[in-house]
Amino acid sequence: MSTSTTLDTDAAAARIAETVDGLFALIGTWRDEVAAHVADRVTPLAEGLDAVVERFATGVLADPDSLMTGAGFVAAPGLLADAPWHLAWWLGDANTFGLEGREPAIRRLEAVVDPEAESFRDYTTLEWWRVPSATGRRHLTGPYVDYLCTDAYTVTITVPVHVDGEMIGVVGADVYVSELESALLPVIDATGLVCTVVNARGRVVASTDAQRAVGTVLRLEGLRDVLDGIGGTRELGGVGRVHACGDTTLALVVEG
Amino acid sequence: MTRAVVFAPLDAVGRADRVEQRIGDAIVLGVLRDGEKLPSEAELARRLGVAVVTAREALEALRERGLVQTRRGREGGSFVTFDPAASDRVVDERLAAISRIDIRDLAAHYTAIAGTAAEFAADRATEDDVASLRALAASIDPNSAGSARRGHGRFRLDVAALSQSARLVHEELRLQAEFGPLLWMCLRDTDYRERSRVVRDETIDAIEALDPQRARRITAAWIGEAIAWLIDEKTRRERTNT
Repeated sequence: MSTSTTLDTDAAAARIAETVDGLFALIGTWRDEVAAHVADRVTPLAEGLDAVVERFATGVLADPDSLMTGAGFVAAPGLLADAPWHLAWWLGDANTFGLEGREPAIRRLEAVVDPEAESFRDYTTLEWWRVPSATGRRHLTGPYVDYLCTDAYTVTITVPVHVDGEMIGVVGADVYVSELESALLPVIDATGLVCTVVNARGRVVASTDAQRAVGTVLRLEGLRDVLDGIGGTRELGGVGRVHACGDTTLALVVEG
Repeated sequence: MTRAVVFAPLDAVGRADRVEQRIGDAIVLGVLRDGEKLPSEAELARRLGVAVVTAREALEALRERGLVQTRRGREGGSFVTFDPAASDRVVDERLAAISRIDIRDLAAHYTAIAGTAAEFAADRATEDDVASLRALAASIDPNSAGSARRGHGRFRLDVAALSQSARLVHEELRLQAEFGPLLWMCLRDTDYRERSRVVRDETIDAIEALDPQRARRITAAWIGEAIAWLIDEKTRRERTNT
């Protein structure tokens, strides 16, 4: 294996990290805004917080260059005195739920937040909440079919928000998998090698190999162990190697 | 498809169905809740970007399915209905009205969707996915017919989501919205609720074992049982009535 190839895939991993880091960095600024707003108040209320979230969420959703198709903040249960369970989440105009032709618009997700309601979902059990809550760190959920929100094949990126060491919720964004795949494919294709981008569970996000369908799980011997807490580059027992894509929880698997 | 169908005006035919489907899905999923007032025909038409007559047609279809009730007068409007007694009655009427041929056709369609979804899920699920399925299955209360039916519907929907196919999820949702209560009518019976619990566990085991064929087989067999029960029940009722 030549040195230049290794550098190429390292560079590709860095480029992938950059693309996703851009999203995380933006979400990081939202985290700071939300944390500042809540920290300033004795009794944070939904109304005030929603105005803060609406500003940044609708701002990014209106940007045609952004990959994001949904954005917002989900509050820890009990954080807000006037809304025990609360989602402040906006959907972009590319999302066609509820639209039949006319005027696609940025709008708020209407979620069921009454625990007594039949369809109520305890969102603290969902991966995009559960993992950042357990690790205290950013997390990329998916690809998954988000039938509750975007009605499409989605990746959800979430960052926990802390005030005085306590998690008060997550800020995050949805990205269509098709958009993410389009953004990542040219990068890995440029390596000229068989490359697959996977999430922390080994689920394929993009691959140069048509056999590696997006959404399938790459089940290579030892990959699971390598993906657990991966950093830098690791050899994959004669099959290839795995590059961490920065701190994004994505990894680039190079076979052969 | 005949030539006549190919060139039928698409908008006029398709739009009311799509409006009906969207709202029906939302009701069955519980996004729109029992007793909730729907926007007026005009408002619905405006928000969905369709003609008022299309919205009216969609509401009419939802009424026929017993998902919506319209009251006249000052406090009137269209309201979401999902009360168990009324919904049981609607299901009873549907069972009386639907032919055995249509029930078997539904079985074929649903088996294709749910069987394929289970098959794909058993290839594509991770350990985490299996853990969430187990948690969901454990949360279903077998003592309540309503909880068992809703829980089972959600279980099937989550299995469909694990297929990673948005189309399969949409179709599962659509079929549940249209036929869910009829399909799982057998869950009124305690024995079948227990049977559904066993089937869910076996399905999860097959998914965990990454055994797509077993997952499909279990799913198909269970739909077969539910449909056989339905046809027996229809026959039993027809005998009693004559």
